[in-house]
Amino acid sequence: MITCEEFFAEFADYMENQVSPEVRQELELHLAHCRACHVLYDTARKTVKFVTESDSFELSPTVSDPIIDRVMAKLRTDLS
Amino acid sequence: MGNEFGPFVAFQQARGFIPNLLQAQSLLPRVIEAQTILENAVLREGAISQIQKERILLRIAAHRQDTYCMSAHSRALCSLGVSDNHIDDLLSDYRNAKLSATDLASLQFCLKLARHAPAVNSEDIEALRTCGFIDEAIFESVLVAALAVYRCTLSAGLGPKPDFASKKFASTRDDPGSEAASNGTRPHTHEAVRRKGSYVSAPYLSPKAFTPFAIVEQSHGFIPNFFRAQTLLPDLLEAELEAVGHILLPEDALTRAQKECILLAVSAANLNSYCVAIHCNLLRGLGMPSDEGDQIAVDHHESSLSEADKALLDFAVKLGTRASEFSREDVVNLRRLGFTEERILECEVVTALNNFANTVQMGLGIEPDFAPPAAFQENKMNLVSACETPTKREGDVNLVGSLQNADAELVADAQSGNLKAFEELARRHTQLIYRTLIAILGNSADAQDGLQDTLLSAFKHIREFQGRAKFSTWLVSIARNSALQRLRRRRNTESLDESDNRDDEDFRPRQLRAWQDDPEQCHSKTERRQLVERGILALPAKYRVVVMLRDIEQLSTDDVAHQLGLSVPAVKTRLLRGRLMLREFLSPHLSTITKGAVQ
Repeated sequence: MITCEEFFAEFADYMENQVSPEVRQELELHLAHCRACHVLYDTARKTVKFVTESDSFELSPTVSDPIIDRVMAKLRTDLS
Repeated sequence: MGNEFGPFVAFQQARGFIPNLLQAQSLLPRVIEAQTILENAVLREGAISQIQKERILLRIAAHRQDTYCMSAHSRALCSLGVSDNHIDDLLSDYRNAKLSATDLASLQFCLKLARHAPAVNSEDIEALRTCGFIDEAIFESVLVAALAVYRCTLSAGLGPKPDFASKKFASTRDDPGSEAASNGTRPHTHEAVRRKGSYVSAPYLSPKAFTPFAIVEQSHGFIPNFFRAQTLLPDLLEAELEAVGHILLPEDALTRAQKECILLAVSAANLNSYCVAIHCNLLRGLGMPSDEGDQIAVDHHESSLSEADKALLDFAVKLGTRASEFSREDVVNLRRLGFTEERILECEVVTALNNFANTVQMGLGIEPDFAPPAAFQENKMNLVSACETPTKREGDVNLVGSLQNADAELVADAQSGNLKAFEELARRHTQLIYRTLIAILGNSADAQDGLQDTLLSAFKHIREFQGRAKFSTWLVSIARNSALQRLRRRRNTESLDESDNRDDEDFRPRQLRAWQDDPEQCHSKTERRQLVERGILALPAKYRVVVMLRDIEQLSTDDVAHQLGLSVPAVKTRLLRGRLMLREFLSPHLSTITKGAVQ
């Protein structure tokens, strides 16, 4: 079986679902037997989910509208 | 089969007859044992009453037009003291059957689960909690629905004659409006729809204290989340594991590998990515090359299985997903290919078990142990989103597609000086520009100033845009330059360049405690957002930008590389590093406090 070190080398691609079936097999065999790497995978996966579903840094229209309005007013003046 | 067979004796004593559904499985007594163990555990009086459970079984049978199960559960309700009139009401229109609000809610939830399992989401569970359901009651509801699906699948496969006269079932029709009642009338917030994670609590059970887990660990090499998520009622879980053992482990009819292939193919047809991932993994454990498992998940006809095994999977998929089309013809076909009666029976039982498991997984929102194969995701998951109630993200995808086309026209108009067209483009891409800016600059005030600069600069140079890249990519490059200028004015030395790879390479993640199954559910939407924003702003800029575009703005890795002028490997390395730093930041808020689960 592969080592934790070898597992981690492929980890980024595994998270992005970009490993070949053979590598995937090795990684999942490792995951099934290594508690530490399974926790790493599980917490990393939950991190991505937590982050992607947070709708963070959404600029509310109350902030963005005045900015766009200001820009448009300036452009109109510049063009006229 | 002799009358001394334990489960039959028990039925004879308790009810005075032996159900035909069980008689029809006499060729493999172990599967009858499995079914009786499962039924006794799921149907006993618990957090929800036997009458409530039988009502659910009856309604799901009625929806599937399964006369055998309708007759069986009508009789069961009758023997529990329910009046004929009430049973008739349940069969004809359950919403007029004068059920309490709680009973109605659980019935509608179970119907939705049995009919459209992929559409079940945490909001349905919240609705049950609002009606006063405790976790045990939710758990039992899910298992009853799963058992109903198990029984109906088997009954479609075996075609037993009803145990009792069933003239009244001919006119029963499922009411197409019922789904709207459970699904459409309540507005979905996309937040709730997207929130997955195991829905009910599941206390940690160690394999040392709970022997069935030790056995699973031995046979599987690990304990799948499927079982970990069901520890709320350990005796029920134990019965389930025993039943699963009776069905899957012996090889006197089908082989383990054949059974795993059935579980994989039918789960894939049911669009259950959890079960697809686990059965792919188990097949590999049985020595099947992993691309072969992936191929079965996508389309078993293209796999290198024997023609007979492909026919076996066709049979199982049809029974498992289109039971109403299933007929004797299908059985005859398998016989012709040399399958014995025992094997055909076992295939039906395994298919029923699969549908049970798929229903439990979707109903409890059990988290994956492994990522499902990429090929399956690409091929099938678009279908899952088609089954789901529309979510914001789905809408966004369509919107993005049509926007890209529409961008070109607006850009042409804006290039000829049409300010209205430019304003529309600005509004469309504000969010992307803002997120790029705040990722580089690290604070909202600067990002807002930067947004204004970027828009002014974009209009000034819009004639230089040649249409070779996406307009959004072009805007991001302007935003990035504008932000970097600001950084330089601040004499900030943080670099986003590819050359800055110090400490990217030899980074190793710290070991953390395990996290709870449903980290989202412990925080309000606002708390989650604030937590993520704080975590991301605390990252060094080069990681922050990549995480922002990939995980917040949800661009593809290739797009992120393109937009930031980085190589794909550099993006991947930084993304992983950024995500793992975020993981450490979030960990104190999300890790489990259960002592037993600490490693």
